[in-house]
Amino acid sequence: MNEAVIRLEKVTKDYPMGEMIVHALRGIDLKIAAGEFIVLLGPSGSGKTTTLNLIGGLDNITSGQVIVQGEDIAQYKDKALTRYRREKVGFVFQFFNLIPTLTARENVAFALALLDGKTRDLEKRAQELLEMVGIGDRADHFPSQLSGGEQQRVAIARSLANRPPFMLCDEPTGNLDVETGRSVLQVMRDLNRKEGTTVILVTHNTAIAPMADRVVRLHSGTIKEIGINSEPAPVSALEW
Amino acid sequence: MNKILFKKTLRDMKISWAQSLALAVIIALGIAGLVSMAGAYRDLSSSYNYAYDTLHFADVDFSLQAAPSGIVEKIAHLDGVSAVTGRIIMDTGFDLPSGEPIRARCIGLPTQHQPAVDSLYIREGRYLQPGDKNAVLLESHFAQYYHLHPGDTITPIVNGKRTTMKVVGIASSPEYLVVSRSKQDVLPSPRTFVVLFVPLSQVQKTFSLADKVNDIIIIVKPGADRKAVIVSAQKLLEPYGVTATTRREHQPSNEALGLDLAGFKETAYLIPAFMFFVAAIAVYIMLSRTVHAQQPQIGLMKALGYSDSAVMLHYLTFALAIGVVGTVLGIAMGQPLASAITKVYAGTLGIPLVKTNLYVDLWAKGTLLMFVFLIGGGLGPARSSAKMPPATAMRFDPSAALVKGRTSIVEKLIPLPFWFRLPVRDVFRVRRRSLSTALGIIFSITLVLLGMAFLDSMNTLLHSEFTDIERWDMSALFSIPTNDAVLQQVRSWDGVKQAEPHMEIPSTLKANNKSQNVILYAMKPNTAMHPLHLVGKTNAQSVALSGRKIVLTNYMAQKIGVKEGDIVQVTTPFGVWNFQVGGLAKEYISAVAYISLDEAQKLAGAPIFNALYLKVDPNQQVMIKRKLYHLPGTANVQIKEGMQKDWDQFMGLYDAFVGIIFLFAVVLAFTLLFNTMTVSVLERQREYATMRAIGASGGRISWLMAMESVILWMLTLVPGLLLGWLVSYYAMSTFNSDLFVFYLTIKPMSYVLTSVGILVVMLLSALPAIRHVNRLNLAEAIKIIT
Repeated sequence: MNEAVIRLEKVTKDYPMGEMIVHALRGIDLKIAAGEFIVLLGPSGSGKTTTLNLIGGLDNITSGQVIVQGEDIAQYKDKALTRYRREKVGFVFQFFNLIPTLTARENVAFALALLDGKTRDLEKRAQELLEMVGIGDRADHFPSQLSGGEQQRVAIARSLANRPPFMLCDEPTGNLDVETGRSVLQVMRDLNRKEGTTVILVTHNTAIAPMADRVVRLHSGTIKEIGINSEPAPVSALEW
Repeated sequence: MNKILFKKTLRDMKISWAQSLALAVIIALGIAGLVSMAGAYRDLSSSYNYAYDTLHFADVDFSLQAAPSGIVEKIAHLDGVSAVTGRIIMDTGFDLPSGEPIRARCIGLPTQHQPAVDSLYIREGRYLQPGDKNAVLLESHFAQYYHLHPGDTITPIVNGKRTTMKVVGIASSPEYLVVSRSKQDVLPSPRTFVVLFVPLSQVQKTFSLADKVNDIIIIVKPGADRKAVIVSAQKLLEPYGVTATTRREHQPSNEALGLDLAGFKETAYLIPAFMFFVAAIAVYIMLSRTVHAQQPQIGLMKALGYSDSAVMLHYLTFALAIGVVGTVLGIAMGQPLASAITKVYAGTLGIPLVKTNLYVDLWAKGTLLMFVFLIGGGLGPARSSAKMPPATAMRFDPSAALVKGRTSIVEKLIPLPFWFRLPVRDVFRVRRRSLSTALGIIFSITLVLLGMAFLDSMNTLLHSEFTDIERWDMSALFSIPTNDAVLQQVRSWDGVKQAEPHMEIPSTLKANNKSQNVILYAMKPNTAMHPLHLVGKTNAQSVALSGRKIVLTNYMAQKIGVKEGDIVQVTTPFGVWNFQVGGLAKEYISAVAYISLDEAQKLAGAPIFNALYLKVDPNQQVMIKRKLYHLPGTANVQIKEGMQKDWDQFMGLYDAFVGIIFLFAVVLAFTLLFNTMTVSVLERQREYATMRAIGASGGRISWLMAMESVILWMLTLVPGLLLGWLVSYYAMSTFNSDLFVFYLTIKPMSYVLTSVGILVVMLLSALPAIRHVNRLNLAEAIKIIT
């Protein structure tokens, strides 16, 4: 394994729920190497999305360390976290989360514009990204005019705007049919293999696990098992 | 409805407490406006009647030269007479401690008991007693103005002699609820006119009218034929020289109160009705948006087996619960406010007896109307959501579902920089949301501009009347016609720079079977003392006033339905003549008309006049006033500065009213905008959270939200200001009465202040929503669909 670019050390996360405290993560340790394709697998409430959110800087830990490229992002204040998300992370969500008033191209351009503040050539660069994920011909359509798979590809293109070292995907196929789901996973695999992007994918769908380099199984806030696929399966072989 | 759903209603309200409260506040403001202003009108009306009933206000007043006291008894025996009182009334002078001479009216009253007609309400001290010597009861307005109390002494000029009198009491009279000396005095003036109530025997002795009376007042029995009573009384009084018969409706104070109340009536209903309408529309918009956003919950309820009616009942309860809180709050605010307005208004006018009531019918009407809008706003969207298949309703994304339409024309025409594109898109593509927010802003602009318009119009009225229209320094009115010799005498006095004669003639205008009482001013056609501001396609002032031509105020011309060139019949004490309308003048006093002095003198048959305009040295005003009062037949002398003070004070009555409108406008604008901005942001919670997640800073999102506000503001500015102007124009016309005409004036600065103020309020009202977005739990929010 290459040197770890993400290290979770004794990470705990508690959520207060009224008078109760829910222990979402109970002290997990995990190392992720650059260019890895990791699948976080587990049932609801296992802590997989919480883990992803902590790595993505969307949430704060209760204790422990989240070290990304040598820096403990758990210590970051809001401003630094915003910059971290903008520069280092690409998100893909289950419900696509596109901005409904912007076209596919403009959704991607929105993320590009955040990056360097320059608005010149924005749309051209956005178009290139859309073509990269195979929906360049749908660039002028609004989200409401796109299918679920197309919307998820736009979301992927948007997440690539900053050429992020890490792509974090939360149930990216959860809202898609099998065929569309496979095509989206293929895009991720290609990015991972061709661009060297580290992909961390959260799912409860065990059928996706064979495509990963490593599969981290979580249960009740702890890591139960880490499996290594010496020969990850091609996306086309996945069935669910 | 089952308990669980009821709990859900309460929890929904609790979760969105700020929005629910804002809705309740808007409802409360609408109801409070209606209850307070319409209630105040009714309170005032009933207070006047209460004062009249309690103090036995006369049905008719006969002014005589002199009659033996025994005539009172004879009149009392006439059929239909319920009560009668005989008095002596003498107009005389009074020197203020400053040396300024003013007019006084001495009224001799019986000392054994209060008069049966027009009795007095003793506010301080006591009524007159037999044996009182040089005792006086002071009319309350004057006493209040000059801070006089029982025990103080005053020195009126009685029959040419200064007489020291001791104040034994302060009293209000139903004849002087508004202290109006005569119909020619447009405004009440406790500053320059005092009514003194003194023992009848003393006045009789002073004026050598032993056992005589010169004024008889009568109350007619209920149900009796008043006209017949008046005719028979007139017949009895004929030998004693009846100089005037004044019926109750023409009694100066009563008439002035009536005009004032009539003006207030329209305002008291129309302005609150508009405010109520705005509040109701706001409630409808906001409630329907709130329910619309809950479509997935409705789908879920249906999926769980709740019937359509159960779902609708749930949202109805939600609407009604907010409605109940709002209306209770509104009534609780409105009712005391009604009493407060009544007390302030009546207190300023000096009405002695004030009666305030609870107007349950107003509460009921306001509540009922508001609930119609509430039910409409709550049930409409709930019904359409309930009709949807549950699966569709549950999948509903309020943010995405609102997005309709194509790229806006603006964008097609003007290539927008990227960071402007999103807010513009949000405004134009989410039309339903934008439209409801825009309506909120338009109404807010309208209300604030209305408040500004009131202030500007009133200031303009006060300023224009005394700088542009009345250009004289002093004016004198004579009760008898006077002539050139007097004019020459006045011109010769030190300090008199200019003296110009004119006539003031109580007259009646008739045309198209309509008639109006006016004061007819006969002036030199080229007068610079009171220049006419002629409007429309008109002649020059000198032409408009030449020959048999008359200039009417716009208001009067409208009242009798005439225009320039039409013929008007003018009834004057000298005769009845036809005049052609030579022009229409923009004037702030309604009931006046103008003809040329030459023509009036021709018609009167002599070169006479009964009034003077003067330009004087300010340092000599008091001395000149004194000299004028020493001329034969001087009835009244006005110093313009003093008159301006009276006007200021009178207009002050409107201040409280304008203050309420203004306060209402600002609070409503803030609440309205707070709610629309909050709903707008909550609908897009996930969108903003996603932006934050992909690295947009809080500042960037605040900027986007602010830009959207600015775009909406720019789009609504013109329609808002236009509607504001129209509503102000209409509202201002409701203030018009036979007393004053208000012209709508809105200063450029007021447009600027209103526009900038609304933008500031919009940005401020978005702050809680911005804070909310910046504090969102991103991990949660990006998953939230509803």
